[in-house]
Amino acid sequence: MYSEPYIDPASAHAAAAPIEHRFNPYSDNGGTILAIAGSDFAVLAGDTRHTTGYSINSRFQPKVHTLPCDPPILVSANGYSADGDTLVRRLGQRVQWYSYNHNKAISVAACARLIQTMLYGKRFFPYYVHTIVAGLDEEGRGAVYSFDPVGSYEREQCRAGGAAASLIMPFLDNQVNLKNQYDVQTGEPKTAVYLSLDDTIKLVKDAFSSATERHIHVGDHLEIKIITKEGVKVEYFPLKRD
Amino acid sequence: MSDPSSINGGSVVAMVGKDCVAIGCDMRLGMQALTVSNDFPKIFQFNNAFLGLTGLATDVITLSEVFRYKVNLYNLREERKIEPETFANLVSSSLYEKRFGPYFVGPVVAGINSKSGHPYICGFDLIGCINFAKDFVVGGTSSEQLFGMCESLWEPDLEPDDLFETISQALLNAQDRDAMSGWGAIVYIITKDKVVKRLLKTRQD
Amino acid sequence: MDHMPENWGRPRSDVYGVYNPAIHNAGPTTHTQQPSITGTSVLAIKYNKGVMLAADNLASYGSLARFTDQERLIKVGKETVVGVSGDVSDMQYIQLLLERLIIEDNYEQDGHNLRAPHIYEYLSRVMYNRRSKIDPLWNAILVAGKKDDGSPFLGYVDLLGVTYSAPTIATGFGAYLAIPLLRKIASDDGDEKRITEQQARAALDECMKVLFYRDARSLDKYSVATVTTDGEVTIEQNVRCQDMSWRFADHIRGYGTQTM
Repeated sequence: MYSEPYIDPASAHAAAAPIEHRFNPYSDNGGTILAIAGSDFAVLAGDTRHTTGYSINSRFQPKVHTLPCDPPILVSANGYSADGDTLVRRLGQRVQWYSYNHNKAISVAACARLIQTMLYGKRFFPYYVHTIVAGLDEEGRGAVYSFDPVGSYEREQCRAGGAAASLIMPFLDNQVNLKNQYDVQTGEPKTAVYLSLDDTIKLVKDAFSSATERHIHVGDHLEIKIITKEGVKVEYFPLKRD
Repeated sequence: MSDPSSINGGSVVAMVGKDCVAIGCDMRLGMQALTVSNDFPKIFQFNNAFLGLTGLATDVITLSEVFRYKVNLYNLREERKIEPETFANLVSSSLYEKRFGPYFVGPVVAGINSKSGHPYICGFDLIGCINFAKDFVVGGTSSEQLFGMCESLWEPDLEPDDLFETISQALLNAQDRDAMSGWGAIVYIITKDKVVKRLLKTRQD
Repeated sequence: MDHMPENWGRPRSDVYGVYNPAIHNAGPTTHTQQPSITGTSVLAIKYNKGVMLAADNLASYGSLARFTDQERLIKVGKETVVGVSGDVSDMQYIQLLLERLIIEDNYEQDGHNLRAPHIYEYLSRVMYNRRSKIDPLWNAILVAGKKDDGSPFLGYVDLLGVTYSAPTIATGFGAYLAIPLLRKIASDDGDEKRITEQQARAALDECMKVLFYRDARSLDKYSVATVTTDGEVTIEQNVRCQDMSWRFADHIRGYGTQTM
């Protein structure tokens, strides 16, 4: 017996309805960042490539910022660059307000807590960024704080963020925190010691050269900002441009 | 997380050294976030070729048996051992046969050609496109981490002992940054006249 | 006591059913969800004495070439040019905002005038704030002029509030078709110091021609703006693509009504 093919009224309606095209308020601008803390210094490095999709927008768009305070604090917010730029800009304003209100420079720890409140303040429309802060703590030791997009944060010895974070982070575990390395004599796991500034910079360059090799959103130039009690120094290093 | 290639987790890596190759894998078998087994090796030996298989566990098991069957037939017909290059092409054509209903795997082949003595490694995508690499190949859920590790640790012409250390550090530190891989590791160091299989002591989380 | 004023004086819910409050928002708030009349690529390149921009004169309505004399390079203040691609009505609104901004600044009569970095900062905040309201201005904009130190300035901002600077920038199809050509002469910061005005102009003319060949929403009539580091702005209008060859089109078969 012949019967009409069954048409689900819900799906028939869906087929007739126009395809909804919603504005997507986010984009990904690639790039990667990396911070390592030393005994009396901290470095925050980032590549300078700015991308959307497969296009390279700029080969030199620095994203590691020095906050307007004394002693200075380094910060970078990697991911969606419009949010990153906005966050850093507003943070700079808040840090200046802090010095006007309290008549002293903000500490890295306080700056980190401030960033948490700023990120969590946009919990339901987040800044789409991985944020890393580097500076010297109140004892003069290197300090690195890293954040997720909604403000969860932690103080660490080192952290990679952004497009190639997953490539760099295990390398840092291995070479900075000496994970999976054992003492030949005792057979005990090695414990991490502070790296010298020279070794740190070598490590940063190696990490970025490797990431550049395997990640298309990383390359062009490496900008390394080094913070010591003398202030901030900047070093540039060429990366592959392909 | 309904992506078939990341339901069970797992990863493999292979490297070339001076007259030697190495291939390693983790031991985890999971169902999404739940670990079901810590005794699930992903490397299989077929004569002179070693095959690392990551991806959907059911396909890993099925394919390992398919290749056992095919290599046995090859041995009967040719009356010789299969070489890594030949085996790689067997893997490729077997996968492409299922072009429009593929096995969800990320295979890696390693071995030394018994005639020429040349080390050989290669990787594949799930439909058999071969990646002929001169240095290292990776596969599985921690492939990004493995790329980062291998790209920074690997150097040309490593002796077997140094190659073992390099591949082990690459594998261990990569899988420690991947929730879907770990729970043990196996590394094979293959030279022309000797194969050494080592079980690595790893974090159990 | 019901504290919501919109519920006061309504028919009783138990008798007439629950009042649907959606009714009193009679007019829906409207957002630009898609552009309608659009302008295609804007190109720009820095050179040794300034910045040069080019944009064609077409305003499209989908695939229809609707208006063929639309100027998309806007002079803002004394020494800045803004090039706009994307929605033309949003561009005209931006033009209005910029005119207001310049007028407000002139009231001060303090001898200061807004330059490219200031205009760029303002525009990027407008663009970012509108995207944050999920009500974007559907444009990609180039701002060209000079920095406070007298060196050339070139910046990009789009509907997402994404900003960047480079020696050569192009919006739309120009990012794929023109940028590879322009980067041949200027790829890194500082390269612009070796480019003359003639070289920059020749490069832009060539790119506009390539775009006219391959971008179906483009026109062979365009404007070229020059902003020098001396603060001089010239906008040359009604420039035509020169020395084109369409002989290849003769061999194309399979489209339209051709049968052989």
